[in-house]
Amino acid sequence: MSELQSSLLLKKQLAELNKNPVEGFSAGLIDENDIFRWEVLIIGPPDTLYEGGFFKAHLYFPKEYPLRPPRMKFVTEIWHPNIEKNGDVCISILHEPGDDKWGYEKASERWLPVHTVETILISVISMLADPNDESPANVDAAKEWRESYIDFKRKVARCVRKSQEECS
Amino acid sequence: MGMVFFAKDILFSWLAFVIYDKKCTWNIMGNCLKMSNSDDISLLRGNDSLNRQTNATQPIYHLDGHDPQIFYPTASVSINNTTSTAHQLYEDGQVKIAKRIGLMQHLPIGTYDGCSKKSRECVICMAELSVGEAVRYLPCMHIYHVNCIDDWLLRSLTCPSCLEPVDGALLISYDTT
Repeated sequence: MSELQSSLLLKKQLAELNKNPVEGFSAGLIDENDIFRWEVLIIGPPDTLYEGGFFKAHLYFPKEYPLRPPRMKFVTEIWHPNIEKNGDVCISILHEPGDDKWGYEKASERWLPVHTVETILISVISMLADPNDESPANVDAAKEWRESYIDFKRKVARCVRKSQEECS
Repeated sequence: MGMVFFAKDILFSWLAFVIYDKKCTWNIMGNCLKMSNSDDISLLRGNDSLNRQTNATQPIYHLDGHDPQIFYPTASVSINNTTSTAHQLYEDGQVKIAKRIGLMQHLPIGTYDGCSKKSRECVICMAELSVGEAVRYLPCMHIYHVNCIDDWLLRSLTCPSCLEPVDGALLISYDTT
């Protein structure tokens, strides 16, 4: 898979998302000359603590895409067990392909070359609604989510408000 | 005889993947460690590896005693203690890749004849398969461009469409021959 093929594939996805936008997020490029770096705006999913928020995130695609996954990082502050405090998203489908020798994840739960910006974002949106506390990236958030849900809710609400102020 | 040389050539050209493959294992679920963004193949070059060694900001990872540094053979100057282990792991990796290439050669290649009514695309590159193109058949009967799927199988022996493991029965028949 050459760099040219990777960029063609990403261009195709961008064109398709512009033509037929998907509910729940909007997508574009950070710099219109660089197809490998995307900026997305995720709308906090309804009926979740994140409802009403507008969360900006960046996707960094490797030149080997789609054989290797992109990295995803929230730019807007967000409090979630599977998102590091610096914004890095920790989700199994964005983990490098192959079986890991510790046996935490099956190959099928990890990166697959059929994933697109759309399928990645659908997974991330569903992760917002439904955190996986077995393998937290933000241990403090996971602990709060389990043990003091009121504090967790308060922190998320603060992020939602902040995201609204940043967007307005 | 020709076949032997062919396999050997492939083995060396895919050496880069050995190192790549090892690096991947750092990033397991729940251990979202920072990874280098650089093209892993560049690590094969001596200069790059040495730069890494002296780069103070480069984090050093330790996962259950597996030191990723040992996968860069040229960097072994400064990590003498692990050199022999590194060599062993490096060879294990080569054997693994060689086995995988051998396995992949058992998967049939055909020419796309376009006989199905609706057009089909290679879901890896999302381009439509055109008549006369070389395609590889996986045991689950999903088809892909040979180049697209071979690059993928070196990373993971899983069908990207149905997640069916490609090894299994094939692996057994390969091991016993």
